[in-house]
Amino acid sequence: MVKAPKTTGKKSEPRSRFCGNCYYHDAYEYPVLIICKLRYSNSNDFIVPTLEWCEKWTRDTQECFCVEEALKKRNKGSVEHHKE
Amino acid sequence: MKREDFLQEPVTHMKLNSKMTVNELIQQFNNSGCFGAGRLSTACDIFERMVRDDECTIFLALAGAIVPAGLRSVISDMIRKKLVDVIVSTGANMVHDLIEALGGHHYKGHWLVDDSLLYGYHVYRIYDIFVPEEDFVKLDVELTDMFDEIAGENKGHTLSSREFTREIGSRLKDSNSILRVAYEANVPVFLPAIRDSEFGLAYRLHTKRHFKDKLLQVDAFKEVSEIVDIAIKSSHMGMVVIGGGVPRNAIQHAAVTAGKGLDYAVVITMDRPETGGLSGSTLEETVSWGKVKKKAAKVMVIGDALIVFPLMVAAVMERLGDKFLRKTA
Repeated sequence: MVKAPKTTGKKSEPRSRFCGNCYYHDAYEYPVLIICKLRYSNSNDFIVPTLEWCEKWTRDTQECFCVEEALKKRNKGSVEHHKE
Repeated sequence: MKREDFLQEPVTHMKLNSKMTVNELIQQFNNSGCFGAGRLSTACDIFERMVRDDECTIFLALAGAIVPAGLRSVISDMIRKKLVDVIVSTGANMVHDLIEALGGHHYKGHWLVDDSLLYGYHVYRIYDIFVPEEDFVKLDVELTDMFDEIAGENKGHTLSSREFTREIGSRLKDSNSILRVAYEANVPVFLPAIRDSEFGLAYRLHTKRHFKDKLLQVDAFKEVSEIVDIAIKSSHMGMVVIGGGVPRNAIQHAAVTAGKGLDYAVVITMDRPETGGLSGSTLEETVSWGKVKKKAAKVMVIGDALIVFPLMVAAVMERLGDKFLRKTA
């Protein structure tokens, strides 16, 4: 039987002004890249880093882990880089 | 009827052994003849008759999440082996075919899960199947590009859903894709509720990129004549239905509009008739509309299509043998 994943029980980080916190995103390459739905419908460069921000950023956020996980990945990357 | 008419054939108890094949198991179901086992063995017999009837056009209706759950290759193989002539599907099943054709996956999951956690991780759930959001998103991007291309090539020509699926199938490289295999085998794929799927959402994005004269045009009514014409040209008609809904009714409409009614029908569903919904409506009820002939070989199997359908197809393939070559109508 497949076990159900356990919940982390953690609350998401306070909302910073990252694209991955804005309402207009979907996952593209989780967690580091998102697709911005606003840009996509306008045919602009719509694949952006989760930790990017733009002037159309909205506080109407999604309750997701994109930014939290992207930050973890970035920090882990910088630690590994430091070890080298 | 007399009393003895009710007591004609005793139940023969099933015998199982360690070496039995799928068809041998189905034969044991036939010996019982009862409940789901009896209905499944009847379904195998009816599907075999459809396949062996050189004048029969076989329609396959696909509803419910059967492609994400693992029936994709079964259906592709049926097309390759000429066990089906026409497919009528929900848009969603072909969307999930495309997700895999473009490199995405469906994952074994669980029904007991914190769905808000899945939402947080951008993972969608179809009962106990998980699908990452990025597979849908990447599909949207590719589909929008395909829509642009198809619209450009067709220059204002309005497509039916059959023509649309053919255009999509021609652009795929995945040899296991239902749409690709159907394109190669020239098997029409109708999507009578095409907008109720990711195709509809991708279309919306396509419309945001283009002005009216450069938009892809798909006419929901155009396919009606196409599928009815197939029915008119068919001497005999059979349908195998997974689920029901719009795909089942589209086939039945074609049959009754052609003035013939279906000669064979196998419906696999879990739905009940009491609500009046089409997916649970009995085949006897369907006779009242003239969509299925009174004397048609017909059975409704109440069960999970993911179990029933592969058993039925495997048993019939075994009966036909590897060398069997169907003469299509």
